Amino acid sequence: MPYVYCDPKLCTGCRACELVCVGFHERVFNPKIARIRVVRSEPASDITITCHQCEDPPCVKVCPAGAIRKLKSGLVEVIDARCVGCGVCAEACPFGAIWLHHERGKATKCDLCGGDPQCIKHCVPGALKLTAPEGVAIERRFAAAVRRAPERGG
Amino acid sequence: MAFTYKGYAGKYLRVDLTRGKTLELELPKEWARGYIGGSGMGARILYDEVPRNVGPLSPDNILIFATGPVTGTAYPPSGRYCVVTKAPLTGIWGEAHSGGYWGPELKYAGYDLIIIRGRAPRPMYLFIEDGKVELRGAKRLWGKNTAETTDAIEGELGRDVRVACIGMAGERLVKFACIINERSRAAGRTGVGAVMGSKRLKAVVVRGSGSIEVANFDRVWELTKEAHERYTGGEWGKASHDALYRFGTPGLVSWENEIGRLPTKGHRTGVFDRAADIGPEVFEREFIIHRRSCMNCRIQCKKVARVGRSGPYAGLITEGPEYETIVALGSNCLVSNFPAVMQVNQLCNLHGMDTISCGGAVSFAMECFERGALSERDIGFALGWGDGDAMVRLVGMMASREGVGDVLAEGIRAAAKRIGKGSGRWAIQVKGLEASGQDGRAHQSVGLTHAISVIGAAHLRALSSLDELDYRKTITERYGKARAAALGDRLSTKYKGMLVKDVEDLYAVVDALITCKYGTMWPPIFYFEDYAEILPAVTGVEEFGSVKELRIIAERIVNLKRAFNARLGLGRKDDTLPERMLKEPMPEGPAKGRVVDLKPMLDEYYRERGWDVRTGLQRRATLERFGLADVARDLKRVGALAK
Repeated sequence: MPYVYCDPKLCTGCRACELVCVGFHERVFNPKIARIRVVRSEPASDITITCHQCEDPPCVKVCPAGAIRKLKSGLVEVIDARCVGCGVCAEACPFGAIWLHHERGKATKCDLCGGDPQCIKHCVPGALKLTAPEGVAIERRFAAAVRRAPERGG
Repeated sequence: MAFTYKGYAGKYLRVDLTRGKTLELELPKEWARGYIGGSGMGARILYDEVPRNVGPLSPDNILIFATGPVTGTAYPPSGRYCVVTKAPLTGIWGEAHSGGYWGPELKYAGYDLIIIRGRAPRPMYLFIEDGKVELRGAKRLWGKNTAETTDAIEGELGRDVRVACIGMAGERLVKFACIINERSRAAGRTGVGAVMGSKRLKAVVVRGSGSIEVANFDRVWELTKEAHERYTGGEWGKASHDALYRFGTPGLVSWENEIGRLPTKGHRTGVFDRAADIGPEVFEREFIIHRRSCMNCRIQCKKVARVGRSGPYAGLITEGPEYETIVALGSNCLVSNFPAVMQVNQLCNLHGMDTISCGGAVSFAMECFERGALSERDIGFALGWGDGDAMVRLVGMMASREGVGDVLAEGIRAAAKRIGKGSGRWAIQVKGLEASGQDGRAHQSVGLTHAISVIGAAHLRALSSLDELDYRKTITERYGKARAAALGDRLSTKYKGMLVKDVEDLYAVVDALITCKYGTMWPPIFYFEDYAEILPAVTGVEEFGSVKELRIIAERIVNLKRAFNARLGLGRKDDTLPERMLKEPMPEGPAKGRVVDLKPMLDEYYRERGWDVRTGLQRRATLERFGLADVARDLKRVGALAK
């Protein structure tokens, strides 16, 4: 299942993704309700955190109200009407990618903007990509292969 | 009740540190309508609330932290705030701008601006969170550097607070102390950090979860996408984005050296033979480990640098240095030891000092040493040109006000008076502010910019890249074909009074929105028309949709800031440059033999502004045209209105 992957080598921490995420979903600007978040740590790291759309999502497992489900398409979805706002999903998620919306009181997470994530379009350094774990692994394999290749020519 | 205009938080805070009281107030509609926001609103407030007899470090001076209506929206590059105060370094209008995350967070916390006065009985810090305002004790933070302070406050309040604070320099009232937010972003110029220190205010901490609503969301969304395209694509957008993303502002070092405008050896020349040692290629190859950005920017000029394994600065990691820092502490001190420049950059971040003024003080001291005005005994060690290690020692002494550092911490205008021996001749400052990294001899209009700037010799108030890089197409579009050739020639003085006036007006709007000057200063792709699009979409104020109205607001702001200084007795005599730029011809490079031909540019500038050419004073009719009749009456009373 594809998710919004962030390459920490490229992320600059500009948080444009947060603002367009909230603009798209809520028609206001407020990073505290963005479904993608930039985490900056010192001295030299920036990375976004958002839902990995896990194959076997811990949030689905722990939800006492059955309000989170894994769709056939792969998307992990919150059913607002069922969500009781207990927040165990936030406790279960290893990334902090799902949490309670402070105004609505409902579990909130990345919904991939219905398949066309806005954050990716506004990511200037190209750190964000819609890709499945397999896609990330392919990139990693090629990078590893280049690193390990014997030097030829030149 | 919600504020009439959108985009704004609609509220502001008054903090009285003497009494320990805070007060939340509705933002006056007239401030928004008449001055937009940022340093525009700051101008109205400072003019009204700081009469001329108030000393910058007295409790009666106020310190304003301001955002604008666009701050915190998705429209780029709007992650900024400004600080406005009567400046301790210069004694006049003071203004400093910073990026990072802090400005937007203030708005999410519910406030457009904060006005701070008084002096706390003991060190305090201010914490603002979603309409809750609290003054907290800062005794254990006093004496800590900006990184330690930020860490300690994050430890106390959570890692998602945004901290703007001062370091040792601000506490010790170093006259060019700055305010540092998020460890490395600086509201740098004019000594705003010393005002904070004088108020015993260690930090202003914000966290907010409020939403910013805009008047016409669909239009703002569309304009945001369009701005994204223009910043990252297009002929000039792409070129400058690519350069700034790759190298950051240090990319300018090689270009400025090429046109002979790289201040070197205390502005004695504009060419540095070792510029490559502190230039963009070596920066990227040997030092950059990470690329960063302020909030909501499409240019992304910030870099984190690391010094490699050998030498006295091995292992140092610092965000920066910027072009201005590299000039002030590198070429202008003849220092080609890049790690030493980075070390001072980090010291300035940690102690909270403006790198431009700090570098100006070092190069001044080096020239004092060369010419015998300061001896090895006075300083404690030899301070030869180009000695990076000595520079590092001297900067530490400035922050702690130790020995000669105490004299230099007053700024070079005051230091030259103290040292005497003719050292005022090589104190490269205007109105008490150390000159930024340009030289008017190689770029005439920037000479005028330095001379007329309301804060002193700074670049961000009115620098034009149109002539610096000869953007002929834009020049022609804006000012017509007949004037284009002269305007595009950086060594010509013709029409430069008009040009500088026009960019100063443009930046008055930019500093009110607030957005970054990338996009207006360089590349020059955003102009009044663009702000007449975004401002009404964000605020719903229809009048902001008129370029004519925006230009009137811009002139109102420029005139009000000018009046703040005029009321203090400033006029044409103060709109000048160091003798070095006016009388000593540039010794080499493409501008060889040139001095700044200031008089014709200054005359034209005053005429364009509608000010008296002989005295530089404002006229009643001019002030009334921009709705400043009250200011005219005020100036008349103190004899600062043109006859």
